[in-house]
Amino acid sequence: MNAALESLRGQFARRGGALPGNASIGEKRKRAFEEFIARGLPTTAEEDWKYTSLAALEEQSLALPEAVDVATAMAAVERYAVEGLDGPRLVFVNGELIPPACQLDGIEGLEMTSLGYALEQGPGAETLDQVVDIDRYRFARLNTALFIDGAHLRVARDTVIEKPVYLLFITLGDDTPRLIQPRVLIEAERGAKMTVIEHFCGEGPAALVNTVTEVLAQPASELTHYRIQEQADTHTHIASLNARVARDARVVCHNIDFGGALVRNDVHARLVESGAHVELNGLYFTTGRGHVDNHTRIDHLAAHTTSREDYRGVLDGRSRAVFNGRVLVAEDAQKIEAHQSNNNLLLSRDCEIDTKPELEIYADDVICSHGATVGQLDETALFYLRSRGLDAETARGLLTFAFAEAVIMRLGIEALQSRLSRTVIGRLPDSDRLREFT
Amino acid sequence: MLKITDLHASVDGTEILKGLNLEIRAGEVHAIMGPNGSGKSTLAQVLAGRDSYEVTSGSVEYKGLDLLALAPEARAREGVFLAFQYPVEIPGVNNVYMLKAALNAMRKHRDEPELDSYAFMKLIREKMKLMQMDASFLNRGVNEGFSGGEKKRNEILQMAVLEPTLALLDETDSGLDIDALKVVAEGVNSLRSPERAIVMVTHYQRLLDYIVPDQVHVLSGGRIVKSGDRTLALELEERGYDWLAEAVGA
Repeated sequence: MNAALESLRGQFARRGGALPGNASIGEKRKRAFEEFIARGLPTTAEEDWKYTSLAALEEQSLALPEAVDVATAMAAVERYAVEGLDGPRLVFVNGELIPPACQLDGIEGLEMTSLGYALEQGPGAETLDQVVDIDRYRFARLNTALFIDGAHLRVARDTVIEKPVYLLFITLGDDTPRLIQPRVLIEAERGAKMTVIEHFCGEGPAALVNTVTEVLAQPASELTHYRIQEQADTHTHIASLNARVARDARVVCHNIDFGGALVRNDVHARLVESGAHVELNGLYFTTGRGHVDNHTRIDHLAAHTTSREDYRGVLDGRSRAVFNGRVLVAEDAQKIEAHQSNNNLLLSRDCEIDTKPELEIYADDVICSHGATVGQLDETALFYLRSRGLDAETARGLLTFAFAEAVIMRLGIEALQSRLSRTVIGRLPDSDRLREFT
Repeated sequence: MLKITDLHASVDGTEILKGLNLEIRAGEVHAIMGPNGSGKSTLAQVLAGRDSYEVTSGSVEYKGLDLLALAPEARAREGVFLAFQYPVEIPGVNNVYMLKAALNAMRKHRDEPELDSYAFMKLIREKMKLMQMDASFLNRGVNEGFSGGEKKRNEILQMAVLEPTLALLDETDSGLDIDALKVVAEGVNSLRSPERAIVMVTHYQRLLDYIVPDQVHVLSGGRIVKSGDRTLALELEERGYDWLAEAVGA
């Protein structure tokens, strides 16, 4: 057994009994932990992990987090919180809720609590493990076994929550690599509408953030979900977003990865009833030796379901990215429409992208498209800008920015857009000059 | 101002321009006409410095400079402007900022002080009025979501702001309805001056009803096969290009 599993076993033995949840949750945790240990960490021999090695993680001796003092936590919130989001907010530092940083002013129709609290109250966490395919996503098992806290959100029937719900997860690494495991449960009841932002950031030495989100989108509901990941380049980040989308419901997910040493991001959307729609937007900008692996899976399990997926990547330095987009169309799921694209820009000769669409179609009356590009900037656009007197370097920077901006502009929340646009520009050569153009 | 001598250019090994000669003096407006595939657009792009075309022989002298030795941005700073047939969309890069940077790059090159935002906005509003462009243009990305006609107007707006010495208009009339064509023509005509030369590349003579050229050239098979005054354009309109090609054996 490797160091990571060994350490987790010790942590579970020592602290497993004191984690939130009643006896039945405790039982669930125990089972999940045993199964996780039995299967061990994924290896590159497995198709799903072919391009992403966890060898470095195996060597780490992980520990559950210790409490962070409030002053330290509040200072971190000050550094990382997105400005201009003034709606409901839950803040976690190293997995622990920081009440003074939260905004919980009652909004009618929105049930919003920390998950720990929901579990203590008994009902309220029924959705735990109900959406995620726990056999497929084994890190979700680890999360179930050892999560400490997270968020529990429910919007009542036909209620529209105007302001985005902001969940901020800050990781402050210390000398011992910590295992930080947010768990988020979201339910939009029939006809409800809401927006949730999950924002991951942090600093310091190595840490493992392993987050799981479960989304239940009931009939005719609308959920927009953001996962913005800006962690330190020492951190490992493993995420799985799992959504069950019912009749005429609509789920839109934005996945932004600008940080992390090693990032694995799984999205699994199940369109279970007719009229269900899912949209996945992704943007990754990798630098240094960063590694970002996006695996998406959309299951069209009913007729008249639709999906659209557009991931873009900018790679620099010696970084590497993986995109694997799987679309499954079940037998009898006729009249579905699924479109997928993945486009990448490589800014250096030493970076690498592995991109792979996977369509598995068992119905015959379907419209499916997919396309992947790995390339350089559009030569005509470069010439256009240079013919206006801009030097070649500025022109290249502007076009790289525009490439990423196409995804950022779809986010629809200005506070996020301006922050992410600034980050993109800051990473490009000649960024001071590029700032003048936006 | 511009002297093209025996210009040969090819793309992907196929020769498009095969010994083209042309001389244009300051103050003149020239129209270059010709059938599809004759090399009209290639000529415009080669002059602006597009590097996907390889110049295999010949020379181009512009204001006493060896034009072909200059990078596209250096040509632009020397006053060469190409209005694109298909202007490029660049979402996220603001129209105004792009144009301000372009103008200031040129002013800097000419040792003139750069314009600040206030002075630039004043200038651009004036030019937008000339081109009958909507104020929303100011907040949009370069050509982003523009209709075909808006893109062409934007090209001429850029030209009006940058005030080039040599303006190359590549099929500027294509895709324009008659009202838009008039606005574009008015914009171009307002830039006619004794210090400036304008070269229009066009398939149809319609544009020339509104921007009347001093000279008309017919490009066929990579060479100029006939030159004349504007009555040549009318003759081409009536008779097509075939008679010329036959006449010169091109």
